[in-house]
Amino acid sequence: MSQDSEPDDLHNRMFPVREDMAYQLKVWRFERVGWYVLVLLVVLTLLGLFSRGPLSSRDLHSSDGRLGVEYELFHRNGSTNPMLLRLKGQPNALLEVELGGDWLEGFDVQALQPQPTRSASAGQGLKFWVQADAQGEASLYLSLLSEGLGTYHSRIAVPGGAAVSFDQFIFP
Amino acid sequence: MDSVLRAAAMYLALMVLFKIAGRRSLAELTTFDFVLLMIIGEATQQALLGDDFSLTNSLMVIVTLIAIDVGLSLLKQRSRWVSQLIDGGPTIIVENGRILQGRMRHVRLVEADIMEAARSSQGIETLEQIKFAIIERNGKISVIPKESS
Repeated sequence: MSQDSEPDDLHNRMFPVREDMAYQLKVWRFERVGWYVLVLLVVLTLLGLFSRGPLSSRDLHSSDGRLGVEYELFHRNGSTNPMLLRLKGQPNALLEVELGGDWLEGFDVQALQPQPTRSASAGQGLKFWVQADAQGEASLYLSLLSEGLGTYHSRIAVPGGAAVSFDQFIFP
Repeated sequence: MDSVLRAAAMYLALMVLFKIAGRRSLAELTTFDFVLLMIIGEATQQALLGDDFSLTNSLMVIVTLIAIDVGLSLLKQRSRWVSQLIDGGPTIIVENGRILQGRMRHVRLVEADIMEAARSSQGIETLEQIKFAIIERNGKISVIPKESS
């Protein structure tokens, strides 16, 4: 692989075929750069750029600790991802939580566990009442099917001011 | 609407991906390449059809793919630039029995690949008997033997 053989290699031949080495070099450069891009994409996917991975899985808490949510920042259209809400309140009380924002336009709630004691519509969103256990904790597991495209905003709040807001992005 | 968009996006994405892979990558199909190709087909199929398995949807996807394909070949006919962009041009890799190493490196080929093509197409035994070896636009290696004196 001597460097001095290169100039001869790169000049255009006219016979038996007409070559355009300047263009061919661009093609080869494109292939090389493209390969780096592919590797980068694989690494980013492993990291969770396209959902499920350290870049995508998020854990949010309200400042007073009464509300926590685990969710995926990135979703792919047609895939199902879980979301977990953790509520804290009085022991054995009925805890109220409101899921607001435009996220219901982009997501289809496939499952909701445990079944809330009561649910109601609240503006654009939903309101649930869940039974807390003896420690005053309640969890709500949602399974979300991504149907939309683009960014959707969620605001989850409990009465008394504790609230978390976040955005979720759905890839095509 | 989205069946057309899906098909067009997939056509474009696959075209760019196979450009990155280079023209050689699937030209000489080994058994494993064939399996790989089928897996790529399987992965594509879901994204093309989505969750709509109706006759209309699959027909519209096929119609779109063929329309783009025919449209591009018409464009290629009219413009040399488009033709070169999509199909590329042939490249000589062996000249009068001498391998052009710089080019070989770029196309990710080794001498054994050329000799394989030379044996199977021309019954050539040594590199010296090759006048030209050319990678064609479709990735196949054509071999032109030296005239025996």
